[in-house]
Amino acid sequence: MKLTISNLCKTYPNGVKALDNVNLELSNGMFGLLGPNGAGKSSLMRTLATLQEADSGSAILGDIDILNEPKKVRATLGYLPQEFGVYPKISASQLLDHLAILKGVRNKGERKDLVNYLLQKVNLTDHKDKSVKGFSGGMKQRVGIAQALIGDPKLIIVDEPTAGLDPGERNRFHNLLAEVGEEVIVILSTHIVDDVRELCNNMAIMNLGKIVFNGQPEDALQELNGQVWRKTIDRSEKEVYKTNYNVISDKMVAGKPQIHILSNTNPGDGFVEVPPNLEDVFFTKIH
Amino acid sequence: MFSEFFFKEVGTALKRPMIYIFFFIVALLVFFAVISDNVVIGGTVGNVYKNAPTVVATFVAILTIFGLLFATAFFNNAALRDHKYGFNEILFSAPINKSGYFFGRFMGAWLLSTLVMTGVYFAVTLGSIMGPAFGWIGAERIGPIPIQSYISTYFIFVLPNMFIAGAIIFALATQFKNTIISFVGTLLIIIGYIASGSLLSDIDNEFIAALSDVFGIRAYTLDIKYFTPLERNTIAPSFSGYILWNRLLWMGVGTVILIASYFSFSFANKNKKVKKEKKSKDSSINQMLTKPDISLSNSGNTWAHFSSFFRISFLSIFKSNVFIILLLFSVILLVVGLLGGFEYFGLQSYPVTYKLIDEIGGISTLLIIIVIVFFSGELVWRDRDSHINEVVDGTPHHSAVSLFAKTLSLIAIASIMHLFLIGISMIYQALNGYTNFEIGVYLTSFFYEGLLFYAIWAGLMIFVQVLVNQKYIGYFVSIMVIFALDIILLILKIESNMLSIGSTPSIRYSDMNGFGPGVLGMQWFSIYWLLLAVVGILFAGLIWPRGTNNLLKNRFTTGKKTLGKSYTGALGFFSIAWLAVAAFVYYNTQILNPYKTSKQQELMQVDYEKRYKQYENITLPKIIDATYYIDIFPNKRDAYLKADLVLKNKSNEAIKELHFTVDKDLKHEISIPNASLDSFDEELGYQIYTLQQPMQPSDSIAITVKATQETKGFENRRPNTNVIKNGTFFNNLSVLPTMGYAKNYEIGDKNKRRKYDLPERERMPELQETCSQLCMTNYLTDGAADWVNVETYISTSDDQIAIAPGSLISEKTENGRRQYHYKVDHPSQNFYSFISADYEVATRKWNGVDLEVYYHEGHEYNIERMLDAIQKSLEYYTTNFGPYYHKQARIIEFPRYSNFAQAFPGTMPYSESFGFIINLEGENKNNVIDAVIAHEMAHQYWAHQVIGAEMQGSTMLSESFAEYSSLMVMKQETDAMQMKDFLKYDMNRYLRGRSSEVDEEQPLHKVENQTHIHYGKGSIILYALQDYIGEEKVNNALKGFLAEYAYEEPPYPTSNDFMRYLEPQVPDSLKYLIDDWFKDITLYDLRMDEATFSKTGDGYTAKVEVIANKNKVDGEGNVSDVSISDWIDIGFYSDRAAENLMFNERVYIDKSPAIFEFQLDSIPAKAAIDPYRLLIDRVSKDNTKTVSEE
Repeated sequence: MKLTISNLCKTYPNGVKALDNVNLELSNGMFGLLGPNGAGKSSLMRTLATLQEADSGSAILGDIDILNEPKKVRATLGYLPQEFGVYPKISASQLLDHLAILKGVRNKGERKDLVNYLLQKVNLTDHKDKSVKGFSGGMKQRVGIAQALIGDPKLIIVDEPTAGLDPGERNRFHNLLAEVGEEVIVILSTHIVDDVRELCNNMAIMNLGKIVFNGQPEDALQELNGQVWRKTIDRSEKEVYKTNYNVISDKMVAGKPQIHILSNTNPGDGFVEVPPNLEDVFFTKIH
Repeated sequence: MFSEFFFKEVGTALKRPMIYIFFFIVALLVFFAVISDNVVIGGTVGNVYKNAPTVVATFVAILTIFGLLFATAFFNNAALRDHKYGFNEILFSAPINKSGYFFGRFMGAWLLSTLVMTGVYFAVTLGSIMGPAFGWIGAERIGPIPIQSYISTYFIFVLPNMFIAGAIIFALATQFKNTIISFVGTLLIIIGYIASGSLLSDIDNEFIAALSDVFGIRAYTLDIKYFTPLERNTIAPSFSGYILWNRLLWMGVGTVILIASYFSFSFANKNKKVKKEKKSKDSSINQMLTKPDISLSNSGNTWAHFSSFFRISFLSIFKSNVFIILLLFSVILLVVGLLGGFEYFGLQSYPVTYKLIDEIGGISTLLIIIVIVFFSGELVWRDRDSHINEVVDGTPHHSAVSLFAKTLSLIAIASIMHLFLIGISMIYQALNGYTNFEIGVYLTSFFYEGLLFYAIWAGLMIFVQVLVNQKYIGYFVSIMVIFALDIILLILKIESNMLSIGSTPSIRYSDMNGFGPGVLGMQWFSIYWLLLAVVGILFAGLIWPRGTNNLLKNRFTTGKKTLGKSYTGALGFFSIAWLAVAAFVYYNTQILNPYKTSKQQELMQVDYEKRYKQYENITLPKIIDATYYIDIFPNKRDAYLKADLVLKNKSNEAIKELHFTVDKDLKHEISIPNASLDSFDEELGYQIYTLQQPMQPSDSIAITVKATQETKGFENRRPNTNVIKNGTFFNNLSVLPTMGYAKNYEIGDKNKRRKYDLPERERMPELQETCSQLCMTNYLTDGAADWVNVETYISTSDDQIAIAPGSLISEKTENGRRQYHYKVDHPSQNFYSFISADYEVATRKWNGVDLEVYYHEGHEYNIERMLDAIQKSLEYYTTNFGPYYHKQARIIEFPRYSNFAQAFPGTMPYSESFGFIINLEGENKNNVIDAVIAHEMAHQYWAHQVIGAEMQGSTMLSESFAEYSSLMVMKQETDAMQMKDFLKYDMNRYLRGRSSEVDEEQPLHKVENQTHIHYGKGSIILYALQDYIGEEKVNNALKGFLAEYAYEEPPYPTSNDFMRYLEPQVPDSLKYLIDDWFKDITLYDLRMDEATFSKTGDGYTAKVEVIANKNKVDGEGNVSDVSISDWIDIGFYSDRAAENLMFNERVYIDKSPAIFEFQLDSIPAKAAIDPYRLLIDRVSKDNTKTVSEE
């Protein structure tokens, strides 16, 4: 199964270019989509999930023209949007049952088994008859994950799935995705670099509607090998370093700013070379 | 601190749109009520200005009910704002003082709530200035701007009502911190108001009803109920009467609640109930499930999707608090309504199914529409509000399927509410021992008046919400569609139901005639609207904002992609079906059965009057003999009538022309031998025939008139109910053409007349001392006839009985038709009815007269009593007044499309909705059923033997005398206290009636057909008269009068002629009564001021001081004092309930106050002046006083 996205463009009425000539080719396996807020990740995902019209371009999944055959795509789609809410006063299993029917699981017995199976997968068996509205954010998110897996989708799109999950839940979720991701296309949109590192063979980085990188994480890291330098500095010095060096990131470590810079040569001045990580790639690409 | 919070509260609100929107809504409603007659708030009548002080008070009082919803928003906001934004912890930890915060917020919200209500004053002022200036309303309808009323109503209604409601809402809000609970509080207040209303239905509870009403509306209504128009136009409300007590009570209640909530209010956060979340158990305990094999189906899922959507939508409404609240609310409304029972003049009606259906209908239409409007928005927006829309939209279902499922869930919810109410109604019937459960009738009514209606509205409201795609604007548009559209149509004078969304011809269930003649039209209109709703949903499916497409254009393109052939096909099919039905409905309602809008009708009336008024007084012959041939086809609702009439020239001049006003709908055909139709105004129906040979005085001619009533298809409105499947009932005047100019076609409303430049309508001719030509016609038949011989050949279907006036000469059944031949035994008034229905008949013979009751099977409860009542009446009347000339006296039940009883010669049609279904079990006393029968029987004398000339005072000779006769029949079997109990309704009728007098009030002997005078006042005065001068004396006068005029050819008598007979019967000492009671408008103001007793010897001496004033009132309501020199009763009750009158003496009072002493045998509990309430006194409760020991 292949997903081919060609020249996809979308401009919102307010003039914002959400998708600017996006080209991607995806095959089975986990695909990470990285990008800062507002990069156009959600627009791309919604377009692929048939929830939004594109202005031009095409997206072909196997032999389905996504933009013109929404019904066919939906039949084979698992989608977890960024914001997943639930109906008041409806229990987890009622909700999953409803969505299973909508996805075409007609047989009642099968549906029951499926719902039970999925609830166990996301560790909610004990809560299946409770109103989802009373769930914590993480539990709701788990229901969201369960529903995205209904009906053996060929294309699974998950938008910021691990926000709000505790580390244990996050691990379980990753395992789950990895398990299903072998045979189908899973697009994982996130701004958490670690998610991608842990899960994806392929990735893309988006910024301002454009794909600024597309490839394997190792390739990206390879590109930066030997160019990333680190130094712990004083807070007051931050501005000075920013003007003098190509600072790609700064974060606080043990209460002091630690900066990464990009440099082909050894900058000296107390900088030490570090092996690049995906975060460095990310910040390099979007700056 | 206080002022900071106060001004902040007010300042913030003034910067937001809410308060202006509310103000605008209030102002708009009132503005239209002032400048237009179509919008009515609380009702203004006749001579009362549209901006009279009392009218302003009514506006204010009624709008505070709506204002309560606005107030809830303000008070709830004030109490909860900080909590809502999580600001409370920051704010409450700051050093602010509690009272400043609490009262600052409260007072702020209070002021804001009252500001909204000032929209009333703004609108009244604006309307008073603009209305006349732009000619929207006549300047004479507007009085001076009632500034005083503005001020007083603000302090009497606005401030206190908002305070009370605010205190309750604020208390609930600070206590529960939940908006829904605050609104429930508001609902409860409104329920309380409605509940107190049901107490008012029995007038004995006046004081309780006045006090128990939170808003003071009923207290005020009671205070002014006997106000004359003059008083209504000048007197602003003040803190007095019931209002004073009501306001004191409720302000007190409000204060207590406010103080209590102040002390229970605390800044500290309430311990939130923390639900313990169960640690999710490690699922390794359970057996690990393996992934099940599932089969996916890609097509044919529609039904599964539909039912799943339905289930989930239905559950979400069914479990929601709002639904539960509204369901409870409707149940409470129904129960409150039912607790009052079906009272009718102190009697209870059997809880027949249609009464309960009516009761349910009143509640369901309003509340269920609210449910549908509210939840249509909720359902359409639910996925988005719950943030699950993207998931659902990403599944392979069709948007229209989800919309249809949502619509059906709305219909199901509405139906559940309705069926629930039906269940309660049946329980109510069972509890009342009524076991004739007509489940079929309930269900049919649910189907016709519930289900179809809900389906139409649910579909259309869902469509509106999808189209508008903005929840709150959607609500606004929905409400506009429901209300505003009808108002616009009203203004544009469009009356077609095809344009008023959801409208159908009305239906009304009658035990006799089922759902009646409106059913067919209702069904077609329902199909028309249902199809439109289906098309609407299909279209909504197309433009459903699936995913994140919000622009209508995008929605449309997205929708089109999922359009399959079948969808296009369905849309096309239903659109065409709708158009076809629309065409069919249009054909039936506009072409086959065209109708006149009320505007067109009015214009025709104006034209008619302008063109033909000139012929009003031409001389025409009179009918002396009439033979009718009538064929009724109940199932087809057709009737054919032919009448052979003999006309005689009773005047002194030759008659050259005959004039008629014919009715197009009845296809009148007139054939007159040797005459030519010279002029025929087809539109207005005016015909003038010229006779080749003029009719000389005393000449007669025979003419033939035909009328046809045929039912074709269905109509825009409920068709006429004259000719129906079971219960055909019409009278001769309604089916024959009018001879000459029909004065009753003229527009009566004086404001409308002014609008069309018509001169003021002549009032009834003045009562004249010596009668001229005016006495040659009576007021009933308008000069068309005097006494007529009537013979009728009438046929109907073989399962029905047809009835015409007179004795049955012959009867036969032939070819499935039953044919009857009737003939009157004595020439009668030219006013008689023709009836056909499937009847049971009860008969009794009395002195050669057949007493008969024709009734509907199942209504046998009171038949024997009805026969008794006829017999008792005849016994009294033949003994005291004179002979009865008919050989039969028939009571005939007719369907409840009208609610009256009427007397025709020997026959008395009597509506099924009262009398037949009133529960008289265990009622030994007089009751209104007997009274009505006695009244109608009395009309066989007073109207059908002697009838007044077309002149002031004439209805006293028929209606007042009939009331008197009926009271005398009742009096034979009851004591004076029970009579007083019965007469209170007459007193109330008169006093209420005169307060909404349209023209100037007339004294009794000059009554101009005003019901409150000839029934209400006539009863009281004639009853009091027989008490003062003796029953026999009054009867002597009546007997003499009857003997002179019974069945006599004109001149007809006037009320002066009766006075000639009455005066000799009145002793000199009471001669003043004739002037006071008959010739003037006299009101008494009687009060028992002091009452004491002391023991003297064997008995007791009671000493009373009474106030007795007598006022004379002129037609406009100006009151002048006259000196008292009257005989008035003073009595003593032995009990505190004032029921057992132990002593009564009529004393002469010539000064006020006056002191009297009486010797009594035992200790009196209460003293009363005029204990029998014989005199007309607007305030009766001060007539009685507890007697204290000296």
